[in-house]
Amino acid sequence: MRGTLGSQRPTLALGVLAGVSWTAAKISVPLLAAGAIDNGILPGNSQAILVYSLVIVAVGVVQGLSSGFRRYCAFRIAYRSETDLRQRLFAHLQRLHFAFHDEAQTGQLMARANTDIFQINQAVILIPLTIASSLTLVGVVAVMALQSVPLTLLALGALPLLNISATRFSKRMQPVTTQLQAKLGDLTAVVEESVAGVRAVKGFGSERLQERQLDHEADEVRDHSLETARLRSGFLPLVDFLPALALVAILWYGGHLVLNGELQLGYIVAFNSYVLMLIWPLRMAGMLVAQASRASAAAGRLDAILVTDPEVVDKPGARALPPGPGEIRFEKVAFGYQGGRPIFTDLDLLIRGGEAVAVVGTTGTGKTTVARLVPRFYDVDEGRVLLDGMDVRDVKIHDLRRSIGIVFEDTFLFSDTVRDNIAFADPQAPMETVRGAARLAGADEFIDNMPDGYETIVGEYGYSLSGGQRQRLAIARAVLADPRVLILDDATSSVDPTKEHEIRAALREVMSGRTTLIIAHRPATIALADRVVLLDGGRVVAEGTHDDLLERSERYREVLAQAAAVEAASTVERVQ
Amino acid sequence: MRGGGGGPFGQHAIEETLTRHDATQVLRRLRPFLRPYRGRIILSILLLIGQTSCLLAGPALVRHGIDAGLKPHDAGALNLSALLYLFAAIAGLFFGRAVIRMVAKVGEAFLRDLRSRVFRHLMSLGMDFFEREKTGTLVARMTSDMDALQELVQMGLVMFVQNGLLFVGAILVIFLMSWKLAICTLVVVPPVVIASRWFRRASNKAYLLVRDRIGQNLSTLQEGLAGVRVVQAFGRERAFTRRFKETNEAQYDANIETVRISAKYFPIVEFAGVAGIAIIVGIGGAFVSADIVTVGTVAAFVLYLNNLFEPIQQLSQLYNTLQQAGAALQKLFELLDERPSIAERPGAVDLPEEGGLELEHVSFGYGAEDVLHDITLRVPLGERLALVGPTGAGKSTLAKLIARFYDPREGNVEYADVDLRDATLRSLRERIVVVPQEGFLFAGSVRDNIIVGKPDATDEEIRDAIAALGLGDRFDAFPDGLDTEVRERGSRLSAGEKQLVSLVRAALADPALLVLDEATSSLDPGTERTVERALGRLTEGRTVVVVAHRLSTAARADRIAVVDDGHVPELGTHDELIAHEGRYASLYAAWDSRAAMGRAS
Repeated sequence: MRGTLGSQRPTLALGVLAGVSWTAAKISVPLLAAGAIDNGILPGNSQAILVYSLVIVAVGVVQGLSSGFRRYCAFRIAYRSETDLRQRLFAHLQRLHFAFHDEAQTGQLMARANTDIFQINQAVILIPLTIASSLTLVGVVAVMALQSVPLTLLALGALPLLNISATRFSKRMQPVTTQLQAKLGDLTAVVEESVAGVRAVKGFGSERLQERQLDHEADEVRDHSLETARLRSGFLPLVDFLPALALVAILWYGGHLVLNGELQLGYIVAFNSYVLMLIWPLRMAGMLVAQASRASAAAGRLDAILVTDPEVVDKPGARALPPGPGEIRFEKVAFGYQGGRPIFTDLDLLIRGGEAVAVVGTTGTGKTTVARLVPRFYDVDEGRVLLDGMDVRDVKIHDLRRSIGIVFEDTFLFSDTVRDNIAFADPQAPMETVRGAARLAGADEFIDNMPDGYETIVGEYGYSLSGGQRQRLAIARAVLADPRVLILDDATSSVDPTKEHEIRAALREVMSGRTTLIIAHRPATIALADRVVLLDGGRVVAEGTHDDLLERSERYREVLAQAAAVEAASTVERVQ
Repeated sequence: MRGGGGGPFGQHAIEETLTRHDATQVLRRLRPFLRPYRGRIILSILLLIGQTSCLLAGPALVRHGIDAGLKPHDAGALNLSALLYLFAAIAGLFFGRAVIRMVAKVGEAFLRDLRSRVFRHLMSLGMDFFEREKTGTLVARMTSDMDALQELVQMGLVMFVQNGLLFVGAILVIFLMSWKLAICTLVVVPPVVIASRWFRRASNKAYLLVRDRIGQNLSTLQEGLAGVRVVQAFGRERAFTRRFKETNEAQYDANIETVRISAKYFPIVEFAGVAGIAIIVGIGGAFVSADIVTVGTVAAFVLYLNNLFEPIQQLSQLYNTLQQAGAALQKLFELLDERPSIAERPGAVDLPEEGGLELEHVSFGYGAEDVLHDITLRVPLGERLALVGPTGAGKSTLAKLIARFYDPREGNVEYADVDLRDATLRSLRERIVVVPQEGFLFAGSVRDNIIVGKPDATDEEIRDAIAALGLGDRFDAFPDGLDTEVRERGSRLSAGEKQLVSLVRAALADPALLVLDEATSSLDPGTERTVERALGRLTEGRTVVVVAHRLSTAARADRIAVVDDGHVPELGTHDELIAHEGRYASLYAAWDSRAAMGRAS
C-alpha cells in the first residue's frame, strides 16, 4: 500500500497544496464579504466596495482553480494505487502454484481484485477530502473564535449533534437496510424461480401459489421500506434543522453583540456562510473511520494472498533442460494433495523416450496426478520425477513446461482468435507453424470453414465450438511448440463418443515421435498407447498392452467396465 | 435533506434516455396507478411547500433582523426575528418529517401494487413468452427496474420536488425583495445551468465507458484466473500479466477521464458562486448607497445564493434518477402490454374427470416454420405412450401442446372429447399435469415444494402421496423430514432426491393425464432404481405421455411413438416396432449393444 502511494509523492504534494489554498480561499470569501459590508457598504465607501468585490473575484479564481487541482490529484492518487494494486495482485496470482488455485475459488479471488481493492480506493479518496474538511473546520472555528468565543460556542455547539445523529442514523439504518436487502433477495428469488421454473409452475397450474408468495414478499419489502423511511424521517430533517438552530443563534446572540458594539454587522452574514460551510465536513467526519475499517479488512484479505509465496519456483541455479528423447521416470515418488490423504507412497514408473503409455485407474487412484507431477504443477513429497535424467526440480520451470505439451480435460480456450489460441505457447510463431499444428490436430478443415478462419474469436463470448472442435484446438495448442513430451489428461472424455474416432485420428498423428502420457478410461483411447499401466491404490498393479491386460487382468476389466457403465447411462440422443 | 454528495459519488450512468414523447406516455399511463393516492399526493405537495417556505424564511428573517433590529438598534425587533426564525426551523423539522413519511407511504404502496400486478401479469403469460424472453431480462423487470423506482420513491422524488420548489421559491423571493438586484445576481445562474447540463452528459458518457472498461477488465481477470493452469502449463504468466495490464490501464484511463470532467465542472460552479457574492456585494453595495436596497437585503441575497446553486447541482444529478425511473416504468408498461397467448375463452367448460387424449391433424411451429406437421394421435384412457426420437424432432413440443402450453396452429387437441381451447384453465391444470422429471426445486422446505401440486394439501395428504409412491423411507431420511430446507448447505438435495420430490408433487396433484418429461441426467444405480419404481407407481392407472430419453423407459411403455422431423413415422408396441425393423429397431439395437458393454462386468 505504502509503496504504491510513495511513487506518487509529487501528485500528493500538489494535492495537499491545492487543498490548503482551496480551504484558505473558501474561508476568506465570507470574511471579505463581511469586510465589504462593514467597511464599504455601511460607511458608504464605494471605492472600498469596489476593491472588496474585485478581491472576492480574485479569490474566487484561486478557489476554483485549486478546487479542480485538489480533486484531480486526490482521485488520481486513488485510482493509480487501485490500478497498481490490482496489477500486482494479478501478477502474483499468475505465479501462484496449482495447489493454491485448487483451494481458492475464482469467485473469491475476483472479489479480492474487485470489491476489496475498491474498498481501499474509497478510503484513499476520503483521505484528502477529510484533510480538507478538517482544515476547513479548524480555520472556521479559529476565525469565529477570534471574533467571539461565546458566539462560536453557541453557533457551532449544536453542529456536532449532526455528526452524532448521522452516526446513530447509519448505525440504526444498517440492520434495517440489511433486512430490506434480504427481503428484496427473497422477492427476487420468488421471481427468479417462477420464471426459471415456469414449466413446473404452469405444469401444475400453481400460478396462484407463486402469486401469493410474491404478494407476501412484496408486503415484507414494503414494510421494511417504510421502516427505513421512518428512520430517515427522524434523521434527514435534522440536517436542515440543526444548522438552522445555529443560524438562529447567530442572528440572536450575534445581533445583540452587534447592538452592544462588540461585533461588526458583516460578521452576521459571514458566520451564516460558515455554518453552511461546515454541514458537509461534519456529516462526513465519521466516514473515513468507517471506510478505513472496511479498507483495512479488505487490505488484510489482499495481504493474505500477496504474502503467499509461490511454492513451485526455480531453484537457485536451476539449469536449462538439455535435449533428450523425453524419457520420464518416477522414482519412489510419494505425494498427497494439501490436507488430503497420500495418493502415492512409493510409485515407480518408467516411460521411455518416444513411447506412448496410458495410465488407467478408477477415480481417485491418482492417474491424473501422475500427469500433473511431470510438468511440476506440484512438487513430490518424496522421491523424484526425472525428465531425460534430470530431476524436474533442478530444471528451469519455463524450459520444463515448454518441453511438455498438455491437453487438459476441460479445454479452456481464451477469448481470443483461433490463431492466438493455437499459438498460445509461442505468440510469435509464424502462421505456417500455426497451420501446421492445426493440420496435425485435424483442426484445419473446420477452422477454414469458420466465418473468419484463423481470425475468428472463440472462448466464452466468441464463436461457439463443439466439444470435439475445442479439443482439437487444444491439441493443436499443445503441439505448436513441438514438445518432446505430450500429456493427454483425460483429453477425450468430454468428447461425444461418436465423434471420438476423429479425435483419435488426430491424436495418433500428433503422438508420433513424442513421448506420450495418456490418462484415459475409454478403451478406444487407451488403445492408442503402446503400453498400459494400471494404477490401483497408488501403485502400479499391472502393465502390458491393452489386449494383453484385457485378457489377463480381472481388475483391468473391472475398471473399464465401471467406466463404460457411467457412459452407457448417456442418453439416446448421444447415440444418435 | 438537500444534501447529496457533490462529486461523482453515487452517480449512476444511464443507459437509455427517454425522449420527451416517451416521458409523456409514461406519465399518462402512470396516472391511473396513482389515482387511489390522489388525496395523499396533494397533501404531500402541500407539506413540501410548507417545508420549503420554512427554509426560505430564514434569510428573509435575517434581513428583517438587520434592517428592523440592528440598524435602528431595536432589540425587540431582533428578538422577534430570531424567535420567528426558531419557529420556522421547528416547523420545517415537522414538515420535513411528515413529507418523508407521507411520500414513503404513497410510494411504497404504489410499488407494492406494481410488483404484485406485474408479477400476476407475468404469470398469466404463455410459454411462448417465456421461451422467447431471457430469464435474466424478466427478472430484471422485477428487480433492477423496480429498484430504480424504489430509489426514486425513497429519495429522488422528494429531493427533486423540493429542490425545484426551493429554486423557484428563492428566485421569487429575491425578485420580491429587489428585482433590480435579483436580475444582476441571476447573471451567474445561466453559466452554472449550462455547465451542469454539460457535466451531466459528459459524466454519463464517461461512466458508461468506465462500466464497459470495468467489465472488460473483469473478464480478463476472470479468464486469467479460470485459465491459470493453462497459462502456467505453457509458461505464459508474464505475457498474461502484460495482457491484464492493458485492460487494467484502460480502466484507469476511463476513471481518470471522469476525474477530468469533474475537475473542470466544480471549479466553474465554485467560481460562479463566489462571483455571485462579489456581484451582490459590489452592485448591492452601490444600490445601498443609492438607497435602492437595504443592507439586510444584501445580506439576504448572499444567503439566498446558496439556495440557488445547490438546487441546480442537485437537480442535474437527480435528472439521472428520474430518467432511470422513467425508463424502468416504460419497460414495465411494455411488459404489462404483453397479451397472454393462452387465455380462457368466454363460456369455457370444465374438462370431464376422465377420458382419452386425441390429437387431430395437429400442426404447429414457434416461428414461421412448422415443427409439427399434421399429427394425428390417440391415447386411450389409461394407456402409457412413450415419445421417442432425436433432439429437435418435436417430442417436447408435442408434449407442450398436450398440456396446452401452446395452441396448435392447425387441428385440435382434445381431452375426453373437449377441445382444450374450450376448457377452463383451472380444470385443465387439474386434469393434465406436466412433470419435468428433472425436478425444479423452489426455495423453501420439501413440503413447500411438494404442495406446488396442490397448494391446500394437508400433511396427511402429502404423506399419502409419498406412501403411494413407496418413498416413505427416503423422505423420512431427510434431516428435518418435510421441513428440510432444500437449498440449505448440508441438506442440499441430490439430483435423485430432486426427481423424487418432483414425482411426489405430481402424485399429490393426482392428475388423470400425466405428461412426463424424462430426466436426461444419470443417477447412481441405487437411486435410479428407486426413481424408476416410484415412477412406475405414479403412472399406474393414469393416462401417461412420456417424452422418453432412454430406450429402457420407452420399452416399458404400452405403446411407442417415434417422432422424427415433426412427423410420427412409427407407432406401436415395443415388439411391433422391433419386428417392423424401422428407426426404432435400429436405435434399440445400437443402445442395447452399448448397454451390454456396461453390463459385462
